[in-house]
Amino acid sequence: MAESPDDPPPAPAPPPAAPVVAADLPQPRLIRARRWNVSLVWLVPAIALAIAASMLVRSVFLTGPRIEIEFKSAEGVEAGKTEVRYKEVIIGKVVAVSLRDDRERVVVVVQLDRSAARFAVEDTSFWVVRPRIGAAGVSGLGTLISGAYIGTDAGVSTKSRSEFVGLEAPPFVLRGEPGSIFVLKATDLGSLDFGSPVFHRRTPVGRVVGYTLDADRDELSVKIFVEAPYQKLVTTNTRFWNASGIDLTLNASGLSVNTQTLASVLAGGMAFDTPPGSAPAQPAPENTVFTLFDDRRTALAPADGVAVPVRMVFDQTVRGLTPGAAIDLLGVDIGRVRTVALQYDAKRKRFPVEVTAEIYPLRLGPVRSALLRDVGVPSDAAVLQELAAHGLRAQLRTGNLLTGQLYVALDFIPGPARTATIEEDGTVRMPTAPGTLSELQPQIAEIVGKVSKIPFDEIGRDLRTTLSRASAAIGQLTPDAQKALAEVQRTLARAQTTLDNLDRNVTDPSAPVQRNLEDTLIELQRTARALRVLADYLQQHPESLLRGKPADAPVPKR
Amino acid sequence: MSDAARRDAQELLGCESCGLVSAAAVIDEPGLLQQCPRCGHVLRATKPFALQRTWACVLAAAVLYVPANALPVMVTTSAFQHDEHTLLGGIHELWLDGSWFLAAIVFIASIAVPMLKIGALGLLAWTVRHRPEWRRLERARLYRLVEAVGHWSMLDVYVVVLLAATVRFGPLASVGAGLGLLAFTAVVVLTMFATWSFDPRMIWRDAPANGRVA
Repeated sequence: MAESPDDPPPAPAPPPAAPVVAADLPQPRLIRARRWNVSLVWLVPAIALAIAASMLVRSVFLTGPRIEIEFKSAEGVEAGKTEVRYKEVIIGKVVAVSLRDDRERVVVVVQLDRSAARFAVEDTSFWVVRPRIGAAGVSGLGTLISGAYIGTDAGVSTKSRSEFVGLEAPPFVLRGEPGSIFVLKATDLGSLDFGSPVFHRRTPVGRVVGYTLDADRDELSVKIFVEAPYQKLVTTNTRFWNASGIDLTLNASGLSVNTQTLASVLAGGMAFDTPPGSAPAQPAPENTVFTLFDDRRTALAPADGVAVPVRMVFDQTVRGLTPGAAIDLLGVDIGRVRTVALQYDAKRKRFPVEVTAEIYPLRLGPVRSALLRDVGVPSDAAVLQELAAHGLRAQLRTGNLLTGQLYVALDFIPGPARTATIEEDGTVRMPTAPGTLSELQPQIAEIVGKVSKIPFDEIGRDLRTTLSRASAAIGQLTPDAQKALAEVQRTLARAQTTLDNLDRNVTDPSAPVQRNLEDTLIELQRTARALRVLADYLQQHPESLLRGKPADAPVPKR
Repeated sequence: MSDAARRDAQELLGCESCGLVSAAAVIDEPGLLQQCPRCGHVLRATKPFALQRTWACVLAAAVLYVPANALPVMVTTSAFQHDEHTLLGGIHELWLDGSWFLAAIVFIASIAVPMLKIGALGLLAWTVRHRPEWRRLERARLYRLVEAVGHWSMLDVYVVVLLAATVRFGPLASVGAGLGLLAFTAVVVLTMFATWSFDPRMIWRDAPANGRVA
């Protein structure tokens, strides 16, 4: 804004004289104003407009798309406060929290930053980060102080989207994390949970990222993530097993305790390994489906292949035989007991026990092919039939005397010839032999029967009459016996005196006999010693018998 | 009042610097200024381009009033939280927290006063040209009021600047000024400029000597 310069006055004007009249007043001097553009002042609002516009435009450009995320609950989410973060970088803010119209879920409106516009795409996932303390560890502790925030896993899709459904828990695999996901079919979840570790050689190499129970097919599949570079260790041959907790097994082989690391004991986990001796295989591709075995032993056991169902009927108690008990062929575990059930034999009025089992012929190894070749029919059932014809019998044996656990042994047992039959459904009905315990029972019963045949009553009666007669005989003897006893007493008194004399004359140390005897003995002792010396000397110097005693050996000089 | 007296009143010029009253000269040539014969100060019946300057400042203030309210004036950063506060947002928070009195003070100082100042100055500038005879006395009072309350709006600016200067705990907490504060400061300063460039004598142009009349 131009202002005309206040030039110093060239000369002081004379002060005006009172009284003040317009005509008497001093006349102002006239100076030329500097020419300036009047419209310059309008630059101010123009500049202001430009600044304001740039500020607004900038803030408009800084704000990105607005998205809506649905959550089950808005716990910890506050409008205007809660941030949206990706890798702890703030990419947006919650601007409103409201209920969905049906009041089922919560809708969180998020204003994304301009730079985060690419997050509003199809496959981005959001979840609320709250402090979580679980088996997999503690996470989100910072939110205890800062309050919850919304975590993000950026999607890679190019399709934009503005309405999302939030996850209830953070995903266990973030996009772009190197590694592979595998699917395990399991019969039982055990103590596995989200985030349970996956071990290989007791080293954590991955984690459980999810599990789904298919309600229609009643099938449980567990999703695991194996971190790079360990996903290469998972090959098509790899076996997975549940390493949760402590595996306590009580079976015919006794008590076995199996654990993985302490962490997995507490938090559950699983492990994988390749069975020893298996051929090297390609790393398994992503999403390969594996079976989750119950324990390491079954996991690493050779592949069982197709099982041959076997049915055995035992005529004895099967106490101690449980489903899962081993089928043992000469010490080799070749199968498992499936069921144990009572049957009723109307003819004999007995309850035979029917045991069904599965035999895995593959466990026989190379023997199997030899057997198949021998039989000539490519059927494992036919092999069993052939073996049964040659005396193979199923027998219940005690595996553990302490616990009384039974197992089924297949063994060649001499006995009447019987054959195995193959039923329509392919089940082999194996002939059985009485178990070792049940063989013992009739023998004991026989012994007991024989013992019970002994006429203890008669023997007792005879014994009693004999005794009563003896007592009568003794009664008749009494007067003579008393006389005899008195004689004996007298004789004994006399013997006593005789012995006293003897004692005085012979055994007393001062008795002459004693003394002489002692002297004689001492003499004899000396003689014996002299003889021993002589004998020793002769032994060392037998030549002295001929040459006499040699001269002393010279003293060795120093 | 006689015509002569009115003419005399019109044609006398008081020096704002030394107080000497001179008789206004008859200027027949454009581009000439009158100068106090005693101290050399430029003598004017009214401030130069008063209306233009007032209008320019008021409009600029009005324009900047929008970003001042829309953009955050204060940015607080703590270890876990990054917060941006706008003026209205802060007042809303105060209100929700139950500090109604404080909310009212902040609202009056930061929202109402600048807005009323802009409105009042606009009204004053407009009436000089279009309704010169309308309620001169009230307008004069309004001008004095605007002049008096003008700088109180800087309260917010002081608060934020003081906070920004004192709250510096490294990564734990810090307070910074947002862009909105700049705009807000500009609004307050521009309204003060507008007040300063407005000449209340314009209200009384062609007014009878007794202001109460007319």
